[in-house]
Amino acid sequence: MTTALLLVLALVALAAGIATGARHPRTWLVLTLTGSAAALGAALSVMPGPPDWEWRSGFLIGGEALHLRLDGLSALFLALLSVVGGAGAVYARGYWPDALYPASASRGRAWWSALLLSMGLVLLVSNGLHFLIAWEMFTVCAYFLITLDRTRREVRVAGWLYLAASHAGTVCLFAFFTTLAARTGSWDLGPLREHAGLAPLFWLALAGFGVKAGVFPLHIWLPSAHANAPSHVSAIMSGVAIKMGVYGMLRFSGWLPVPAAAGWVVIGLGAASALLGIAFALAQNDFKRLLAYCSVENIGVILIGLGGALLARSHGNAPWGRLALAGALLHVWNHGAFKSLLFFCAGSVLHATGTREMSRLGGLWRVMPWTAGWFALGAVAVAGLPPLNGFVSEWMIYLGLIDAVANNDPFAWAVMPAVIMLAMAGALALAGFAKAGAMIFLGAPRTRPAAEAHECGALMRGPMLVLAAVCVAIGVAPVLFWPAVARAVGDWHPGWASAATPAPLLTLGMAHLGLAVLIAAAGVWMWCKVRGNGLRRGLTWDCGYAAPSARMQYSSGSFAGLAAGWFSWILRPTRRIRRPRGHFPAGAILLERTPETMLEHVLMPAGAGVMRVSTAVRRLQHGRLSAYILYVAAGLAALGILVLIESVT
Amino acid sequence: MIPILQLLLRLGCWLLLAPLLPGIINKVKAWVAGRRGPPVLQLYYDLAKLWKKGVVMSTLASPAFVMLPAVAWVAVFGAAMLVPLGPAGAGLSFRGDALLMLYLLALARFCTAWAAMETGSAFEGMGAVREVSYAVLAEAAMVAAVLSLSVQTGSISLVTMLAPSVGACAGLLAAGLFIVLLAENCRVPFDDPNTHLELTMIHEVMVLDHSGPPLAAILHGAAMKLLLFAVVLAQAVLPMDHLRPLGAAGLLAGSVLLVTVAVGLVESLLARFAFRRVPLLLTTAFLLCLFALLVAWKGGMP
Repeated sequence: MTTALLLVLALVALAAGIATGARHPRTWLVLTLTGSAAALGAALSVMPGPPDWEWRSGFLIGGEALHLRLDGLSALFLALLSVVGGAGAVYARGYWPDALYPASASRGRAWWSALLLSMGLVLLVSNGLHFLIAWEMFTVCAYFLITLDRTRREVRVAGWLYLAASHAGTVCLFAFFTTLAARTGSWDLGPLREHAGLAPLFWLALAGFGVKAGVFPLHIWLPSAHANAPSHVSAIMSGVAIKMGVYGMLRFSGWLPVPAAAGWVVIGLGAASALLGIAFALAQNDFKRLLAYCSVENIGVILIGLGGALLARSHGNAPWGRLALAGALLHVWNHGAFKSLLFFCAGSVLHATGTREMSRLGGLWRVMPWTAGWFALGAVAVAGLPPLNGFVSEWMIYLGLIDAVANNDPFAWAVMPAVIMLAMAGALALAGFAKAGAMIFLGAPRTRPAAEAHECGALMRGPMLVLAAVCVAIGVAPVLFWPAVARAVGDWHPGWASAATPAPLLTLGMAHLGLAVLIAAAGVWMWCKVRGNGLRRGLTWDCGYAAPSARMQYSSGSFAGLAAGWFSWILRPTRRIRRPRGHFPAGAILLERTPETMLEHVLMPAGAGVMRVSTAVRRLQHGRLSAYILYVAAGLAALGILVLIESVT
Repeated sequence: MIPILQLLLRLGCWLLLAPLLPGIINKVKAWVAGRRGPPVLQLYYDLAKLWKKGVVMSTLASPAFVMLPAVAWVAVFGAAMLVPLGPAGAGLSFRGDALLMLYLLALARFCTAWAAMETGSAFEGMGAVREVSYAVLAEAAMVAAVLSLSVQTGSISLVTMLAPSVGACAGLLAAGLFIVLLAENCRVPFDDPNTHLELTMIHEVMVLDHSGPPLAAILHGAAMKLLLFAVVLAQAVLPMDHLRPLGAAGLLAGSVLLVTVAVGLVESLLARFAFRRVPLLLTTAFLLCLFALLVAWKGGMP
């Protein structure tokens, strides 16, 4: 009963938020926060255990009765949505205020509430038709948020690409839901695990939801949309919206039977996304693009876990799959928390300096100590390092997969490469975030805007604090979050429903806690010791060079060069070099750019080919009546001949 | 009483014995070159001296510059507590601790690289890039080694999985892990710990701007990491189960000494590789560990 009340409260508050957003920013903030808190409460009220919350009404939309359902799996995503949604609303007040963006700020508030509402509906509805409606609303709301600053051309281009790619995915989903409805005779959704004939539909769902999730070859829309959207929008897009794709995959691979090949295809896609996503991230110079590509990597990590679970389920419900799936589900939360935190930090830097180019920044820790600290914390979390949350979920996925190998599972051949690629992706993520942190916050400021930056206000720091606290909490006390994950695992596959922790999470949490305390103590102690021994400041020691300048520092491109070079077969960087010549060289240039390989080298040539064929075919249609009569006559003659041949034989 | 004594002994082993290893390596190198060389205990003297010294910090660096070496030291120390010492077992052992150990070493790497970038020096930038990039290949090799050990023993806990490998697997693993040991501890042929001011260094160039107590933490942490790799390598390859505790401890100490001498010999007899060949050698290490995995996997098939 409380769940229903809380959901109604969330619905009313968010709907009122849409209405008041344009005129009354304070009311809007209160309403959105109320809505988020109520949604979080509803998710928490379902998490302790069965039964699911379910509500069928006679109310018809499009001829279908409304059917809502909140189970452990959707509650997990709803909790993430409400935390990031609430934090982003507060952040937006500081980051995108009316004073700076008089035209778009009011619009942005209304769309924000609408986005939260439509994503909440996607998670709640249990009817194929209504799912499609909610999905489309969510896509469109996100489009209007991405293009808030639509006076800039690249924003419009990014928005258009997002809309086109999303709808290509939606086409697959249309096919998926209509075929499902045709085969089962009803739009109603629910567990249909016995209908073995539905298995091939999984491929449609994988393609449709894969576009939204940003799985590697389908991620084309993701980098530009995330980079060009306002940062609070990037945060919710990366933290929550792409997780809706993951939700779809989990939901329908849990409710419907899947083909035999599903497991290793998903684990393969996951491993490719993880490794190539992070390789692309490393090569970026734009820090928001780097974060966007890193989302591709993290989706890959989640899919590795899901793929492992699918393999294990298809092979006698091996218990290692439960661990891999639990790791993947926890990673959904973890990535939502640390990636939103990092996008908030990125927004704060962008707000203060006006540039997304890492090679134009540097030394920001001095003027933005809070942002620098939160970014460092987020970087440790995203690189999957202990004692923060990223390690906990990756550790669970590793543990599940290595269990499979150790038990000589028949799928060990698919699991082993995934483990090794996951390890390499982790090491590359460390390199990528060492680079991002170093280029943005460390060393000397490379340009004037970087030197004259300022720290962000309390409205932007507050949400960062909340998300950082989530990262630390999941890191040091993972057992507290286990029941929610265990419940979602049970909803995905009832055979694995059990509250027992399959891994020594408590011990890991204790080890993390001890480590965190020791780290803090050692840091403080070292600082005191150094102060006691005497601390002098001097020039950075550059082999005795007395006048180092900011331009002599390592740049973003040179930092990535070594590891990105190993991936040049897919990164395909383009270079423009003018070497210094003669005894008194005048100018020298080295420009390097990493293209969007899948978009520029695969999709656009394919599109151009289609256009060429269409243009050639269009020559047939030229408006000359005599030629048209000839077509008709030729067609009739051909038909006549066909009929003649038929009658003879 | 006994647990406290055990803990003290364990701490003594890791904290006090670790700085001995670089001393032994230097002695071996001096012996091969026909010099007398610095005393074996030189690093102890250096550490004591550095601990009392003041610090010069770059004008560009934040306070994190002196804190991060301490954090990195804690991370390496934490990793060491997870590694079993022969019959004494590990300080903390649970399912999946092998991964925690690997990632604690990665945390130490992250801290060192971050501190290096604090100074804004291009030299330290180069060192940081090489460290984090080569780690990608080293990590792959180490995970392959972990996989092969867990295939053999059916476990992911260091205490049980460090049971000796058999036959070809042991040889492959020993060779692979030894190369990873050289790379991760920045020894020849990957790096030359003797020179500081070359453009060609990895680890040494990253710590160029450190001084005083933070430098002491870095040096001690590096020694502890070397000991950790030597202990893991020895236990992954040598059979010690059937020995009595004292014999096993002696064998472990002896094999660690052997590994140390081997590092010294490699350093004396081999020149540092050109940088473009470093990834090649690390890939070789990865392949060795991968073959060990395949041998263990297919060998274990009924």
